[in-house]
Amino acid sequence: MSAPDFQAFQQAFARHIRDPHHTPRPAGVPARRMAVYNELLFNNITGFLDACFPVCRKLIGETRWRRLNRAFYRDWRSHTPWFREIPREFIRYLNEGVIRQPLPAWFAELAHYEWAELAVDTMDCPIPGHDPAGDLMRQPVVLNPARLVLACVWPVHRIGPEYRPRKPQTTQLVVYRDADERVRFVAINPVTARLLGMLATAPTTGIEACLQICVELHHSDPQQLLVFGRGILDDFRAQGLILGTQR
Amino acid sequence: MNARPASGAGLGFRRELIEPLKAGVPEAVRFFELAPENWAGLGGKSARDVRHFSERYPFVCHGLSLSLGGPAPLDEALLRRIKSFMTEHGMTLYTEHLSWSGDDGHLYDLLPIPLTEKAAKWTVDRISRAQDILGMRIGIENASYYVAPPGAEMSEGEFISAIVREGDCLLHLDVNNIYVNSRNFGFDALAFLDALPLERTAYVHVAGHYVEPDGLLIDTHGAEVVDPVWSLLEAAYQRIGPVPTCLERDFNIPDLQQLTAEVEIIARLQTATRQQKAA
Repeated sequence: MSAPDFQAFQQAFARHIRDPHHTPRPAGVPARRMAVYNELLFNNITGFLDACFPVCRKLIGETRWRRLNRAFYRDWRSHTPWFREIPREFIRYLNEGVIRQPLPAWFAELAHYEWAELAVDTMDCPIPGHDPAGDLMRQPVVLNPARLVLACVWPVHRIGPEYRPRKPQTTQLVVYRDADERVRFVAINPVTARLLGMLATAPTTGIEACLQICVELHHSDPQQLLVFGRGILDDFRAQGLILGTQR
Repeated sequence: MNARPASGAGLGFRRELIEPLKAGVPEAVRFFELAPENWAGLGGKSARDVRHFSERYPFVCHGLSLSLGGPAPLDEALLRRIKSFMTEHGMTLYTEHLSWSGDDGHLYDLLPIPLTEKAAKWTVDRISRAQDILGMRIGIENASYYVAPPGAEMSEGEFISAIVREGDCLLHLDVNNIYVNSRNFGFDALAFLDALPLERTAYVHVAGHYVEPDGLLIDTHGAEVVDPVWSLLEAAYQRIGPVPTCLERDFNIPDLQQLTAEVEIIARLQTATRQQKAA
């Protein structure tokens, strides 16, 4: 059974809104009125994108940015009903969509980095029970659940109008929401990233995590790693990335 | 949380207003309205802010993304999320626009449904399903539009009446939308009002709009409410009584004091209607 006429109208209308310059205006719709919708709907989308990606926008310039916004609206099908997830759909488009427009090699990672702030700011995750003063070396460590780890090929946190990297430089960042509900970014080295990864996957004490890393690195001096680990864990607790230990 | 039905005059809940509202909610504001698509499923400060107010005031849930007249399958996951969000905050009323907002993906705005028998039937079936999932009647809002889809088989009043009757749902009356459409399409706003199934009105919106240089009105919710819209609200109250009414303001948001002055007008019109009925 074919779709009813009213849906044929809806499909034609939607096609035109997505790509007003290359698809015909639906029959029987005046140009002036159609233009209202074309403008309202595209402005609505660009409002969400502009708010989330100010650095991306600035770095490729207004014309290229708008062309990319339009290609996103035209080619990508967003299935999320939540407006705040429009930027996440844009990230997915950058990673999975077919984009003909040439973009800097670091562009998708920079966008992901900018989106992480919004994502962590609004992340819905209950705070698990914990002892804020517990011994991080001897008790299983409780991480702040409102966090994302970004593993990037490019130094995204340094990219700006003054710095457009030419060579990749592996970069790991933790983005988290502290007790004052502020979003923080911390650049971490691969060993620290591994440490956090272990604490995140299973209940692990600081000592267990450090000794495991000692094995993985074929390190000859476990004592040195334990001192190093304790320092990092204490810093992370002070910064709010670690909440404490399991009760 | 205990159910808190809305009554009297209310205000659209917006981030920009949270700090001033924390300093003191004006007497005239008896409830708030929010879009679940902007507030459900949030953590952090936003979640705490909503809770702070929903523990003290009734909230009305006013949806944006359900696309009641749209071609894509009804988003039942969204409805279930809305249901738990409403329970969590003691909300008793959910309304959506009588419109569609996407093809096989979201377009994120409200578009006019062709006024045909098949479109009415399609929309009624989706409203019924939504009501089954939510376990309550929903309100459907008469939308603003700039294009009258060709091939109409009935008037908009007939379309809305058929849907409210067949869908056994409630009417969410937006008087600014009636005014904007009446100007943009040259019809009589009062006659339109009288053609609606007003006896089913559960909720009312009032808002401001923008006038383009060529005279076209755009439903922006970005300006003060104009006198003809206040008159239309008064006319609506004379027909249906002082139904809970929300002031919508989504752009060019002024300070709380200025918004409160408009909420106070709603409250005054409601009081006047009550007194007339009593007399």
